[in-house]
Amino acid sequence: MTSIAIAPVRADGFFSALAPRGKAVLLALAALAVCLLFSFPVLWLMLTSLRPGTGVYYVHRGTEFTIDNFHEVLAQEIVLKALFNSFMISTLATVLSLGITATSGYMLSRFKGPIPNAWFSSIYIFRCVPYVAWVLPLYFVTQQLHIFDSYWGLLLPHVAVHICFFSWIMKGFFDGIDPSMEYAAMVDGCSRWGAFWRVAMPAAIPGLTALAILCWLYTWNEFLFALILTAHETPILTVVMAQFVHELGMEWHLMSATAVIALVPALIVTLFGQRYVIRGLRV
Amino acid sequence: MLALIAPAALVLVLFQIVPILTGLNASFRDWTLYDPKRTWVGLANYMHVLRDSEFLEIVLPNTFGFMIASVVCSLLLGLLIALMLNRRFPGRWLVQTLVLLPLMVAPVIAAIMIRWMFNDQFGVVNAVLEALGIAPISWLTQRWTAFLVILLTDVWLWTPWFALILLAGLQSLPPEPFEAAQIDAAGAWRTFRYITLPMLRPVIVVCVVIRSIDAFRTFDIVWTISGGGPARATELFSIYAYVESFQFLNLARGSAAAAIGAVIIVVFAFILYRLLNRLVEASR
Repeated sequence: MTSIAIAPVRADGFFSALAPRGKAVLLALAALAVCLLFSFPVLWLMLTSLRPGTGVYYVHRGTEFTIDNFHEVLAQEIVLKALFNSFMISTLATVLSLGITATSGYMLSRFKGPIPNAWFSSIYIFRCVPYVAWVLPLYFVTQQLHIFDSYWGLLLPHVAVHICFFSWIMKGFFDGIDPSMEYAAMVDGCSRWGAFWRVAMPAAIPGLTALAILCWLYTWNEFLFALILTAHETPILTVVMAQFVHELGMEWHLMSATAVIALVPALIVTLFGQRYVIRGLRV
Repeated sequence: MLALIAPAALVLVLFQIVPILTGLNASFRDWTLYDPKRTWVGLANYMHVLRDSEFLEIVLPNTFGFMIASVVCSLLLGLLIALMLNRRFPGRWLVQTLVLLPLMVAPVIAAIMIRWMFNDQFGVVNAVLEALGIAPISWLTQRWTAFLVILLTDVWLWTPWFALILLAGLQSLPPEPFEAAQIDAAGAWRTFRYITLPMLRPVIVVCVVIRSIDAFRTFDIVWTISGGGPARATELFSIYAYVESFQFLNLARGSAAAAIGAVIIVVFAFILYRLLNRLVEASR
C-alpha cells in the first residue's frame, strides 16, 4: 500500500531511470551553456577594455592589465558630454513617448469606428517603412524646423518611431483591463478623461513600467538616428564610441572602455527593472 | 476621441509621414544627390530596381532568407530559454541577467566587437579553432560564412527579446490546466505540446509578426559587420537602398527601392498575421 503513496504520480520515463539526477544536471549544463553564449561578447568587451592599446591584438594571450583606458576616456570632454546627452535624451524620450502613446493606445482599445481603424492601419503601415527610406528626408525636415543637432531634433524623431509600436502594445494592455470599472466611474459622475486617468491608467502601470524600461534601453543604445541627426553640438554616446574605431585609428581599447562605462547605467536599469518587465509584459 | 491621439498624430505626421512622403516624391523624379534636376520621370526608377538582377537574385533572397532564419532561430531559442527560466532553480536570477546582456549593449558596439572576434588574423574565434586543430577560416570574405556571422549576431541580439516576452507570457498562464495535466500523468512533452503551446500562441503570433517586420529592414549590424560585402553578396534590402542613395548618390533610386521593400513587407506581414491567426483559431 505504501508503495502507491511513494511512487511519483508523473512518469519521468527513460532518462530518469538511467540517471536519477540527470534532469537537474542537464538543466544546469544547459543554463551554463546559455550563460556563456550570451555573455561571451560582452565579457570579451570588458576584457578588451582592461588591456593596453597594443594588447587587443592578443587579448587571449597577454597578461598585462590596466585601468588607464578608463582614465583616458573619462578625461575627454566629449565623452562626458555625450554621457550626459544620451542620458537626458533617453529619459526625455521615454517620458514623452509613454505620455503620448498611453492616450493613443487607450483610444485604440476603447473606441470603435472609422477613425480608430484609420489610425490603427496608418501606424501599422508606417511601422513597416524601413528607416533608410526616411532618415535622409528627416534630416531635411529637422533642418527646416531649425532643430537639427539639438535635443528636440533627436527627441521628436525617436518619439515618432516609438508611437507605432507602443500604441500597438498599449492597446493590448488596455484590452486586458475590464472597461466596466470605467463605466461605473462615469456613471458616478467621472468624465471620460477622469475615467482614463483615475481608473484605467493605474491599472496599466505594470505594463507602462515594462515599456518605459525597454524604451529607455532602446534609446540609450540607438545609433542610426544619432549618427545622422546630430553633429558637434549634441554628441551622443553610441556615435562617440563608434568613432573610436574607424579606418584611420583603431582605438579598440578606448572604444571598449567607453562601451563598458555605457553598459553600467543599462545594467542598473535592467537589474532593477527585469522583474517589472516580466510582470508588466503579460499582454 | 481625437484629442487622445492629437499629440501622437502631430509627431507622427511631422517626423515620419512628411519625411516618408518626401522620399516617395523623390522616387518618381530624376533626383541624384550631386545633380538634383527633380524632373518627373514616373515609374522609371521603380522599373530600374525591379529589373536589376542584383536586387532580384541576391538582395531579395538574402532578405527573405535572413528574415526567416533569424526569426525561427531566435523564436526557438527564446522559447527554450523562457521555459528554462520559468522553472525554479538556484541561480536563476543570475542566468536571467546574463541572458539579458545583449539587450543592454548598443547593437552597433556589439557588431563592431563581433566583427573583431571573427577577424581572420587576430580574432578569438580563429584562435580557438586553431587550438582545436582546425584550419582558420576567413569568415568575412566569403558569402556564406559572412552571412552566417551576421545571422548569429542577429539571433544573439534578439533571442533575449523573445525570451523576455515569452517568459512574461508563460508566467501569466493560469496554473489549473497544468495541475490537471499532472494529475492525469501527462509527460513533460505532452504538457508542453497540448497545454503550454496552445495557450502561448497569441503571444507568439504578435512576437513573430513584429520581429519579422524588424528583421526585414535590418540595417546597422549588417552594415557594421560586412558592409554588404564581399562584393555586395550579403546585401539586405535596407543596405541596397542605402548604397543606392548614399554611395551611388542616387536618392531617387534608393527611395524607390525602399518603397518597394515597404510594400513587400506590409503585404507579407498582413498575410503572415492572417495566416498565424487562422492557425491559432484552427488549433482551438
